[in-house]
Amino acid sequence: MEDWQKKHILGVKDLTRNELETIFSLTSSFKEISQRDVKKVPALRGKTIVNLFFENSTRTRVSFELAAKRLSADVVNFSTSLSSLSKGESVIDTIKNLEAYHPDIMIIRIGFGASLSLFTDYTHASIINAGDGSNEHPTQSFLDMFTVKEARGSLEKLNVLIVGDILHSRVARSNIFGFQKYSANITVCGPSTLVPYEFSKMGVNVSYNLDEVISEADVIIMLRMQKERQQSSFFSTQREYMKWFSLTPERIKMLKKDCLIMHPGPVNWDVEISSAVKERVHPLILKQAENGLAVRMATLYLVGTNKREI
Amino acid sequence: MLIKNAYLILSKEVKKLDILIESNKITRIGENISEKCKEQIDARGKYIFPGFIDMHTHLRTPGREDEEDLLSGSKAAAKGGFTKIFCMPNTQPPIDNQGLAKWILEEGKKIAIVDIYPVGAITVNRAGKQLTEFEALSGAGCFSLSDDGDSVSDSLILRRALEYAKMTKMLIISHCEDTSLSNKGVIRESFISSKYGLPAVSDISESLIVNRDIELAKYLDARIHLAHISSFKSIEIIKRAKKEGVKVTAETCPHYFCLTVEDIEKGNFNSNFKVNPPLGEKKDLKAIRQALKDGVIDCIATDHAPHSLAEKEVPFEGAPFGLIGLEFAFSLAYTYLVKGNIIGLPAIAEKMSLNPAKIIGLKNCGEIKEGNFADLAIVDLEKTQKIDKESIFSKSKNTPFLGKELEGVVECTIHNGRIVYQKDKNI
Repeated sequence: MEDWQKKHILGVKDLTRNELETIFSLTSSFKEISQRDVKKVPALRGKTIVNLFFENSTRTRVSFELAAKRLSADVVNFSTSLSSLSKGESVIDTIKNLEAYHPDIMIIRIGFGASLSLFTDYTHASIINAGDGSNEHPTQSFLDMFTVKEARGSLEKLNVLIVGDILHSRVARSNIFGFQKYSANITVCGPSTLVPYEFSKMGVNVSYNLDEVISEADVIIMLRMQKERQQSSFFSTQREYMKWFSLTPERIKMLKKDCLIMHPGPVNWDVEISSAVKERVHPLILKQAENGLAVRMATLYLVGTNKREI
Repeated sequence: MLIKNAYLILSKEVKKLDILIESNKITRIGENISEKCKEQIDARGKYIFPGFIDMHTHLRTPGREDEEDLLSGSKAAAKGGFTKIFCMPNTQPPIDNQGLAKWILEEGKKIAIVDIYPVGAITVNRAGKQLTEFEALSGAGCFSLSDDGDSVSDSLILRRALEYAKMTKMLIISHCEDTSLSNKGVIRESFISSKYGLPAVSDISESLIVNRDIELAKYLDARIHLAHISSFKSIEIIKRAKKEGVKVTAETCPHYFCLTVEDIEKGNFNSNFKVNPPLGEKKDLKAIRQALKDGVIDCIATDHAPHSLAEKEVPFEGAPFGLIGLEFAFSLAYTYLVKGNIIGLPAIAEKMSLNPAKIIGLKNCGEIKEGNFADLAIVDLEKTQKIDKESIFSKSKNTPFLGKELEGVVECTIHNGRIVYQKDKNI
């Protein structure tokens, strides 16, 4: 932990396997704190954290906020939308304004992909990516990997299957970069319209047929299918989508017995996962949320206590 | 004026000769001219190009004079060795009528230090629906017409425009983009766009319209000029069309033979790399260079597109398209094409002066020749220059080449027999 060097957490693609290990081991210790009666440690006392959300989010924001509070940091939420910004203050101006309060950490969610390294030029604070466009959502990947590690004991050489809207998914990208550091064999599966161009160059297998790949999986990450994708003709109807890509009771029967099914939430029941299998899949998805809090505590702690000078 | 001892870039060769300028014309080119002149320039060791002609520039007048105006744009042009520039009509309001076109022309004559010619819009309000008055725009000083920034998406309207332009002897310049395909894309569809999940534009967004435009031109036996060509696929189509004798000409811009989508990643998604059409892949860059070599691409234009700091100081996805180019076009061409052994100095003169003059139909310019206007760019090929914000003449500073050291420096620009730019001197 003493050797944590990264000032910012912008993406899993920039992290080493050792750094992931550090996050995971710290996460285990922080998990315990949330089970105590007094759920608070003074690790980040006196530090100011800004939750800067340019995009709607409740779960991630609450998770980060709670993580900050349990570490005794002062946390403020700043939620706005890009559309209201375009009328007045620019994104950079917003960051410069917040910089005037000398925050130690800015947690940023924004609809613009690959935009966070730009922001590092305008603040002394550490920046943590809470989702930038379709680029990355590193803490989601940390919690997914931690959940797998916790359930299976190891992350080595797993068959990981990611299902759904790969094109617009920052969760998919972060998990690909993360699991690849553990030599995973990754398959992405979704409608051909929603798998990005030349995606096999990422070192993943591409499939358009869930039935063909589902039985091999050790871990399945189901992605949220946003209904507006139908209006843009990425798929024709919900019925057809379910027929091909939904996790149905029939498909559950095809799984390896110990296959882990995860979802970043919130689940669109009866779109990406049939509600008939809720009992089978929901407990682990809720576990993910619990682990998400601990993972974010670990992340904030590492970034917030690092002594590296700017 | 007498310019002595320089190497002249002539159409086929580079030769050490003197140039005598009387009034606004080149009156003699020869060895050891000993005429007595008040003004004499000893250009020993320097090279002289015909003044460059930019078929494609954005001067933001009227509407966004805070980003560029006729004077600042013309200063930037002179610094880059350009003596004639053509400004695109995507202004606010657009140059779609003779009144505004004539005003640009006359205002340019009054305040600008190089020649500025307005490019008229093809359709009213650049809306792609109704043709502008071509004849009147021609009378007001327009040689060419374009809805640049947008494609004329309705094929029937473009057909009418091509037919009508034939009658009025004007050049139609097409911005080739299928906007329904490019949708909200901000970067070329490529492994990079997939890796970072950025909304992407495929190369066929350009080449589909290149194909359509060429089919129309061929069918109508009409002339068409294709702006800012950026992709391998478009070049293949243009090459084939030229072989068949279609009256198509094409331009590319320095950034397409200098940069690729990978440079956007290396540049940390700085919005100064955001341009439309977007920077292509390695195969596109190679094809563009080859096309400049074999003449499939006729000329180099800048697509100089100034944007204010506030507009560009935003994340890549949110920024407007465009970068400035007038001041570095020659140095980029020299550094990447000549030093890169793609083409020689006479070919640079051809792509940046002669061919634009020919395509547009300008008389007595584009070449260092007795009787031509004395439009010249004197360059030092031994020197290098670092691009920094402070040295930029344009009101806007949006260039991806900031901090880059380029070879070949324009030392002096002469327009109509008068020095309009001299390095390190105020003009």
